[in-house]
Amino acid sequence: MFRFLKLLGKNLAQGPSTDPFPAKEAHTPERFRGRVVVNPEQCVGCRICHHMCAGGAIRIEDNEEKTGYNFTVWHNTCALCGMCRHYCPTKAITLSTDWHNAHTQEDKYDWAAHYSIPYLACAGCGAHIRMLPPQLAARLYAHSPVDMTDLLKLCPSCRQLAAARREEISNDTHEQE
Amino acid sequence: MNLFSDIVVRSPWLYRINAGSCNGCDVELATTACIPRYDVERLGCRYCGSPRHADIVLITGPLTLRVRDKVLRVWQEIPEPKVTVAVGICPISGGVFRGGHSIEGPIDRYIPVDVNVPGCPPRPQSIMEGVLLAKKIWLDRLNGIAPGHKEERHVSLP
Ligand code: SF4
Ligand code: SF4
Ligand code: SF4
Repeated sequence: MFRFLKLLGKNLAQGPSTDPFPAKEAHTPERFRGRVVVNPEQCVGCRICHHMCAGGAIRIEDNEEKTGYNFTVWHNTCALCGMCRHYCPTKAITLSTDWHNAHTQEDKYDWAAHYSIPYLACAGCGAHIRMLPPQLAARLYAHSPVDMTDLLKLCPSCRQLAAARREEISNDTHEQE
Repeated sequence: MNLFSDIVVRSPWLYRINAGSCNGCDVELATTACIPRYDVERLGCRYCGSPRHADIVLITGPLTLRVRDKVLRVWQEIPEPKVTVAVGICPISGGVFRGGHSIEGPIDRYIPVDVNVPGCPPRPQSIMEGVLLAKKIWLDRLNGIAPGHKEERHVSLP
């Protein structure tokens, strides 16, 4: 019967257990999966995220002039599952801790993030490419003596050609020896 | 009496409709009501058991074919001016179920939605933000500031 006294004492000592939100900002854990954000610098346009997306929230389409692609994430169908982040090879797409998502119906189709990401021209043939982000390239070429800075500006076919030429030169030098 | 009703802000009653949800969002809705940590009653709202007492209706789930007619009938029983909140990505866009053979949603194909709270499920604080937004719209409608668009809200039962 006097349990409430115990509760009262506990409440007086510890303060209420109610989260003061919305009067105060709510606590958000560091690893909270909130709205998806993309770093356009890092994205190579591989479309793995689009392929993996559980909610079909990601759309990647070439722009009209074909000079780049438009990357759209519609938050209103994103399940916040984090599969895109898990599979993105360059860690370009990630989930922020922003969960302030309530919006009125007028904003329904604007509740999206749009990115416009330009293609670069291959230094060899001019084809449209996205350059590997330096961090990823550094990992790929970590044990290779080849200077990667110029290689990164090439499309895959031109890189192949460059590799073949390198082989040729090294074979020649071996033969000369 | 006027002074009294001017000072006192009216309290909306909440009502929940499960339109074929996976229960994830319903658990979060129950959390806002039953767990003292969130406690939606602080905002002057409380859940009620009958659609006829409700002011703000929270809909979860992608509107499956099986529950469609029942959902529409219950929704129509809620008196105007009501505010409809879509909770979770399911009612908003179909979410992970979009394109499924038994999915009739998104819910705004049938019901005029006022507030969307995306998430799968949204966290309780996010739902509370949605309820606050809905409460504001509801008070505006009561005071005649925001259009209730009662006439446009005609829903035809199939
Ligand atoms: S978190 Fe999941 S649903 Fe959202 S964009 Fe990434 S893969 Fe798609
Ligand atoms: S965000 Fe990542 S997974 Fe998606 S296209 Fe860009 S690099 Fe590929
Ligand atoms: S939005 Fe996600 S958690 Fe909510 S009912 Fe749909 S699938 Fe379940």
